[in-house]
Amino acid sequence: MTAEPIPTDLQPVEPAYRNALRARAAIFWVPLFIGAMILNKVVLAETPVGDVLSAMVGVVGLSGIFVAPDRIYRRLAYAIDDRLLRTVRGWLFLTDTVVPFVRVQHIDVTRGPFDKLFGTATLVVHTAGTHNSIVTLPGLSPGRAAEIRETIRAEIRADAE
Amino acid sequence: MTQATTIPMDKTVLGPAERLHPLYLITGLPQSLRGAWGLLAGSVLLASQDKWLIAVLMVAGFVVVSIGSLLIRWLKLEYRVGAHEIRIDSGWLNRTSRAIPFDRVTDVDLEQGPLHRLFGLARVRLETGASAGAKGEDGVLHTIALARAETLREHIRARRTGITDPQISAEGEPAPLFAMDNRRVAFAGAFNFSLAVIAGLFGVTQTMGDVIGFDPFRRVFWADLLERSEPLQRLVMAHQIVAFIGGSIMLLLLGVGTGLVRTFLREYRFRLDRTETGLRRRRGLLTLTDVTIPARRVQAAILATGPVRKYFGWRVLKLQSLAMDGGNGDHVVAPFATEQEAAAILGTVLGPIAPASGNWRPVSSAFVSSLAWLLIPAALVAVLLGMFSIQFAELSGSDAAPLAGPVIIWILGAASAVAFRWLSWRQTRFALDDRNLFVETGWWRHRRNILPVGKIQSVDIAENFWSRLFGVCTLRLGVAGGGGFSDHHIPALARDEATSLRAQLLS
Repeated sequence: MTAEPIPTDLQPVEPAYRNALRARAAIFWVPLFIGAMILNKVVLAETPVGDVLSAMVGVVGLSGIFVAPDRIYRRLAYAIDDRLLRTVRGWLFLTDTVVPFVRVQHIDVTRGPFDKLFGTATLVVHTAGTHNSIVTLPGLSPGRAAEIRETIRAEIRADAE
Repeated sequence: MTQATTIPMDKTVLGPAERLHPLYLITGLPQSLRGAWGLLAGSVLLASQDKWLIAVLMVAGFVVVSIGSLLIRWLKLEYRVGAHEIRIDSGWLNRTSRAIPFDRVTDVDLEQGPLHRLFGLARVRLETGASAGAKGEDGVLHTIALARAETLREHIRARRTGITDPQISAEGEPAPLFAMDNRRVAFAGAFNFSLAVIAGLFGVTQTMGDVIGFDPFRRVFWADLLERSEPLQRLVMAHQIVAFIGGSIMLLLLGVGTGLVRTFLREYRFRLDRTETGLRRRRGLLTLTDVTIPARRVQAAILATGPVRKYFGWRVLKLQSLAMDGGNGDHVVAPFATEQEAAAILGTVLGPIAPASGNWRPVSSAFVSSLAWLLIPAALVAVLLGMFSIQFAELSGSDAAPLAGPVIIWILGAASAVAFRWLSWRQTRFALDDRNLFVETGWWRHRRNILPVGKIQSVDIAENFWSRLFGVCTLRLGVAGGGGFSDHHIPALARDEATSLRAQLLS
């Protein structure tokens, strides 16, 4: 069996994806921070641990909004050739997934409100596997996502005929 | 595909409407009973309190309602068999019309419960790929005549493959691929005792033994039982340990007996045949099942064994396919077989059971050392804590060091975790030949996964901050079908080895 190469020319996704991630993190952390402030005022103010909770939530939230998205973006990359799609993501828990086009059952391109706001799209590839049957690739430009979808679809059709 | 275009696909192709067999009104009853045991228990309770009228009314009401609902269901369920699909119309308030194209039917399972067998009926289940995930009420015809079920299966099979299978209906069948006689089934049952049943029984006797008057761990129990035999009774009354040993033996016997009964009920007259398109399995004592597994749909094979069975050389062979085995995950095609027998079965479906070249490759020893290094700092902390607590105990003048017990238990636990990891590392290996990937894992529950390279859906290489320090990663393979437990992965592969193996698997 001759081993054909796995695509190695990893390319980053759209830089705008960072902003989408930031907005998503803000939606999560800001209400939590406000909640912590209220809790601090109402319950914890008199106790020795006053202000600790809100300070912690604030620090974690700020790093979640301003530091983490940049890192997530830097650690996310994909590569594509004429028969394989490869996505690499994460550092603490790194996952490097390869999906052959012929195995793809169907393909979604999804755009949430933040994707629309910042001009990104998510490519979702479904395989028949039970483990890891859904492979997502976020942060693509809508044009690029559609282009990849067309590539894979052409391959599936060629395989079916 | 060419056939589909030549034959017109319109409604006239569908056959006449058919109903379930009228005896569905009887065979459907156990199912309603199962849903209403609370109500029945309640009425028994009422009866025991002499509230006979309410109890009778409750039971009568239940009988009327369940028979009525069965009658409505029977009246409202119609199915039509066409040349290309089966249409099942059901429901009264919520009407459902379900069309199942025969091209999508992976297998047709026949099942006969005791009542079905009494009246010559069968339950037909049409497995499609979709029913693997959802609960399997996909295409079930609950009760139809056995002859009708067999012609229906024949019809579907002929439609799907374009050939009729002469082996199915012929009386003088050729020798089976694999069969189990009563001795083999009994042997399998003896190995099938489950510690879970024993533990469960132990729990029940300890918590409810007083209420139900059954607690073999108490002297009174044996004293009552041995009333006739004076010396034995005296022995029991004198020594608690005798009661304990007796109780243990009794639970062990119960556990083995349960295993035997369960195995006999399920595997009685187990018979596996090779048909032209796949495998056909028949088994069961009270409930007969008749399942076909198309060879094309087999995604992977699993050759598993347990700690005791491994020693005697017995294996269980399962096939992972798109359909589920009556909701129980993978299809068991040989519940209790030697490796040669399993190889003979697998040879007709996937290929050899072991790599022809025989060059198994081990996984990295980091499989053990990464766990050990993770535990060593914690073990050091535990030792320090223990020493500190002994010092503290000496200073304060008390005899017992408060933390010594937990610390010792913790260190022993960590050491045995590493030891078990080492044992399972020795049993973990993989091999790749030109068609299949073989992966062996596990020491206590050893298993060999045989995975056709062409059926791999996706390949993941996963590493985390800890395994990166040791330069290893996990190769995880996406495979279609199967229960949630069938996880195909190779642990602790060196990074470059994983990359090159992935390239080989995907080419």
